[in-house]
Amino acid sequence: MSEGLNYQFLVDTFFVALSGVPIALIITIVSLLIALPLGFLLALTRINRIPVLNRFAQIYVSFVRGTPVIIQIFIIYSSVPLLLASIFEKYNINMNVYDVNPIWYAFIVFSLNTTAILIEVFRSALSTVSKGQLEAAYSVGLTNVQAFRRIIIPQTLVVALPNICTATVNLIKATSLGYAMSLQEITLRAKVAANVGYNYVEAYIDIFLVYLILCSLVEYLFKLYEKRLRRYKAVNV
Amino acid sequence: MMLEITNIHKSFGNNEILKGVDLQIDKGDVVVILGPSGSGKTTLLRCINFLEKADQGHAIFGDIDVNLKTASKKQIHEIRQKVAFVFQNYNLFNNKTALENVTEGLIIGRKVAKDEAIEIGKKALDKVGLAEKYHAYPSELSGGQQQRVGIARAVALNPDIILFDEPTSALDPELVGEVLTVMKNIANEGTTMLVVTHEMSFAKDVANRVIFMDAGVVVEEGTPKDIFVNPKEERTKKFLKRVLPEDYIFYI
Ligand SMILES: Nc1ncnc2c1ncn2[C@@H]1O[C@H](COP(=O)(O)OP(=O)(O)O)[C@@H](O)[C@H]1O
Ligand SMILES: [Mg+2]
Repeated sequence: MSEGLNYQFLVDTFFVALSGVPIALIITIVSLLIALPLGFLLALTRINRIPVLNRFAQIYVSFVRGTPVIIQIFIIYSSVPLLLASIFEKYNINMNVYDVNPIWYAFIVFSLNTTAILIEVFRSALSTVSKGQLEAAYSVGLTNVQAFRRIIIPQTLVVALPNICTATVNLIKATSLGYAMSLQEITLRAKVAANVGYNYVEAYIDIFLVYLILCSLVEYLFKLYEKRLRRYKAVNV
Repeated sequence: MMLEITNIHKSFGNNEILKGVDLQIDKGDVVVILGPSGSGKTTLLRCINFLEKADQGHAIFGDIDVNLKTASKKQIHEIRQKVAFVFQNYNLFNNKTALENVTEGLIIGRKVAKDEAIEIGKKALDKVGLAEKYHAYPSELSGGQQQRVGIARAVALNPDIILFDEPTSALDPELVGEVLTVMKNIANEGTTMLVVTHEMSFAKDVANRVIFMDAGVVVEEGTPKDIFVNPKEERTKKFLKRVLPEDYIFYI
């Protein structure tokens, strides 16, 4: 430490950390693509009190919210390979479970996790759009799907967007836990680089900066999108 | 007969709300339903438009003949093409402008060409006095203006009948007049209307038939004069005494 910061290492490792951004983004995007529709549908089962599914969604949310993400990762990362191994064996598939790219486990963990968060986000957003508008849509001859696509979902999105943004930023940050699955993302890459010369402070500063830039950028994009959606000024919701 | 309903029954849990209601409406009729709150008026209208599923009952809408309990999706869709609804709380689409509110059902529900739908929509908004407000969002309109958009949305569909559920009861008193005027105008054009309202002046001046409902049954029906001047049933008399000023009879 007496030598101060190793600036050369700081700059080099910044780019090493940056090279982990695509992985973090792919995981984020895939998880959102799965969690957004699934979370919305399960939120509908909550709002409409659909017998079994409503209960399932409720329990699911409390399980995911009541446990740390790192534990969820450990559970998926240790149990899914066992499950796969027995399936491979049963159907004589000649494949080693340990050859499976850890990114698949990341997709599973983060999709499941984000779905739970979005169920709650959509549930509260849906409850701000009056049921009367849905009935009005039916009464002018729209089908269920048309009414949701044109009337309910656009308004739900406007209300939910700030929370979806928060969930996305949290998701990006949570991908840093992927190192526990040997996922080659931002944190792991920088830490591996630091291992060589014990330049941990520099590496952590780099990791810090990369997440900060990435998350700020994502927040900015959400703000732009929100402005566009909000044209109709939902003041009377 | 344009609309004939027989023997509607509807319960919520153990609570029987409609206990066998019959209703006949001819083309051009303006029928007002009166009755104390909780008597099942809203539920009746909602069952007619399938926003609520009746437990029993039969309906003839022009050439469509349906069982209100077992109607198919297709039948419901066909009937909704013939029946428009004006809601107590307007229920405008908040993410759409006044004009889009009116054209939505035409373009999406009925597959009318967009240009044509916009023409029809503008005419409907002109008719309710909102020519200046085509592009205003509901949040930018007063309650009275919103309800007039609600009426334009119903009129634009050119339905066989429009159902009104207490269209003025959510409005500030000073805004009631503009909505009643619009309703009077469309009634005078020959629109068939079934109106639940507490506006006795509208019932007296515009309706050709008045129905008094209480506790899930039709107690009495007749011309406005029959009901207001010579009510036969004790329950009708009691209700009217409560809602009409003492000396009302002299104004008729
Ligand atoms: N969805 C519902 N679930 C349970 N009870 C209802 C429901 N809708 C209406 N009711 C009950 O039915 C009764 C009649 O309601 P309604 O038809 O709205 O009467 P009105 O319009 O004449 O005031 C009321 O007591 C109301 O509480
Ligand atoms: Mg009512």
